[in-house]
Amino acid sequence: MSKLRLPLFITRHVVFALLVGGIAGIGFVLFLTEFDHITSTETFCTTCHSMELVAEPYRQSSHYKPASGVRASCGDCHVSEGVFAATWDHFVGSKDLFNQMFGADYDDPVINALHLPEAAFAARDWFKQRDSATCKRCHVKEAIFGTRPDTVLIHTEDAKDKSCIECHYNLVHRAVPDKSVFKRDKWNRMIEQEFGLQPGEADKLLAEE
Amino acid sequence: MLTEQSLGLTGHWTLYAFLFLFILTPPAVAEKVKLDPSNWGLKEGKECVSCHKKSSAALTHEWQNSAHAEAGVNCLDCHLADQVDNDAIEHEGAIIATIVSPKDCGRCHTKEFKETEGSVHAKAVSMIKNRLPALADDLSGKEMVAAGCAQCHGSKVEVRGDGTLTPETWPNSGIGRINPDGSLGSCSACHGRHSFSKAQARDPSACTWCHTGPDSPDDEVYASSKHGMLYEANRSKMNLQSDQWVLGKDYSAAPTCVTCHMGTTPGVKGSHDVGMRDAWSLNRPVSEQQYLVIFDDGDRRELPESQPGPRRGSELRKLDGSMGKVKAVASPKRRRQIMSKVCLECHGKNFVNSYMKQFDNMVKLYNEKFGKPAQAIMSALYEKKLLTPAPFDEPIEFIFWRLWHDEGTAARHGAAMMSPNYASWEGMHKVAQNFYGEFLPQLRQLAGEETANELIEMHVTSLDQNSWLNNPGKPNPILGYGIGKESHE
Repeated sequence: MSKLRLPLFITRHVVFALLVGGIAGIGFVLFLTEFDHITSTETFCTTCHSMELVAEPYRQSSHYKPASGVRASCGDCHVSEGVFAATWDHFVGSKDLFNQMFGADYDDPVINALHLPEAAFAARDWFKQRDSATCKRCHVKEAIFGTRPDTVLIHTEDAKDKSCIECHYNLVHRAVPDKSVFKRDKWNRMIEQEFGLQPGEADKLLAEE
Repeated sequence: MLTEQSLGLTGHWTLYAFLFLFILTPPAVAEKVKLDPSNWGLKEGKECVSCHKKSSAALTHEWQNSAHAEAGVNCLDCHLADQVDNDAIEHEGAIIATIVSPKDCGRCHTKEFKETEGSVHAKAVSMIKNRLPALADDLSGKEMVAAGCAQCHGSKVEVRGDGTLTPETWPNSGIGRINPDGSLGSCSACHGRHSFSKAQARDPSACTWCHTGPDSPDDEVYASSKHGMLYEANRSKMNLQSDQWVLGKDYSAAPTCVTCHMGTTPGVKGSHDVGMRDAWSLNRPVSEQQYLVIFDDGDRRELPESQPGPRRGSELRKLDGSMGKVKAVASPKRRRQIMSKVCLECHGKNFVNSYMKQFDNMVKLYNEKFGKPAQAIMSALYEKKLLTPAPFDEPIEFIFWRLWHDEGTAARHGAAMMSPNYASWEGMHKVAQNFYGEFLPQLRQLAGEETANELIEMHVTSLDQNSWLNNPGKPNPILGYGIGKESHE
């Protein structure tokens, strides 16, 4: 039995550094995992009041209170799986935090509703780019039996090559039309009417930002 | 359609124009679409069915058995929308609209679109606009408008800023619906979705789902008329499925609503302008015969005969408030002629003319004996401030409303379509019961003996038809007077 011979450059210092670095690395990944986990929760997201506004319709939706009891929280849908992808999503998402602090007053329900369509379009694009990956965490197309006899056939035959988001949007948050038919002018009039504002006030609010 | 060109013509050569336009034109109610089939059958629309026969099988089944499917007209051909349309939505990659408006149908069914567009049906909302504040808002409420009035007359469909249709205004198949694209009407009011069956639209039930009840008891009137009786007994002989449906050629067993009001008979061209052959306005406190004015853009309106008939080429206000140039005017007499022509397929000339006389006489009787006196008394009560200007906050207002709007209408429609029961018991008898038994007593109570007597003398008992009121001593055993005595003479 020969004695293990380490190369000469592995000094005691190097061993120590590797050890510390390794532990720190593991610690960092564990930190990221925990960080991603905590920052994906409804509790964390709604610490910003603006998010509370979009969470209201979510709490009425079937993703919040499904018959099965399986609840999807913010991150389950809006944050990718895997520590690196999740961290990246959070990194990109930090622009929302920046806007929250330095941008328009998204805490104001009117401003929030006026900006909602762009947010919805961005979210839909995000889902499309990822082939609805986060939906598929829970949903398996072949297993969507529904309550009507042909639901499974629709999903396996007609929607075979489709991504969930292509058909299923406006499920959770306030309904926003598809980008192709969205009319800013009409949307603003609707929000004005909803909040009792004068016609044209919405456009002014948006221009002031 | 009653050809616009012919209506304004006068002089003996009208006859030739008539012969040419009415007899030589190919007879059919719904004209065959003349467009090249390359105008429909959108490629993207062929894919809808695979999913929809699973998600909404019954609806798809209706379409699959339709003439549309047979001709290759698919979902998208009708539901296709433009991105800029207010009610455009994205659906499985296509831009569509839920509502298929007459304008959409008119892309192929041009003739029918033009005919309905100017018709009284398309104006069913503006027709009752003045009545709505009192009838709908005050007496009932918005909720009733959606479930009641608007279901027949049509809603003004509101599109939210997010492209959705408000539940207050949609679903709606009212015949005068104001669509998001600005067009008026709803083809599906009569042509049930998605089969659009000819037979279904020719069946009287296509009309009577609305034309029923106190203010338009045509379902009941028709059912209790000789015509309705024959239809009921001979339904199997009606050839309702036939492509062409010309009275006397394709069927003869009975006339339906369509036959007289819009159908084709030899010499009369069918038209989707349903009110065109009606000489009278029968749904007013006092009936009057009406001109039909046709504008150069195809729009139409009626004018009472008491006003001078407008000249061709003159400017006249349309029902929507804008000005239009008069292209042709059909007198009530001309309108009656067209209607009578339909009758002549089954009846002799004398029969028809005398029947029309009976009908006219009955309308005039209602007018003179009840309609005009009651209206004059109501005007006087408002003038004397014995009634507040607001309708329906005093009992006599309901009584008067019922007199002309319900009972008076039943009487007149009953006479128009030969229902003895509706002309009499459901109609004139109720009018009389109301007038003598409620309206006049209520008037006495409201105005006091002196004013009431003055009004009654002026408007009621001075008329021959009402002079029996001056003779209370005249006996009759109908209610028991004198029964048991030797003689009640």
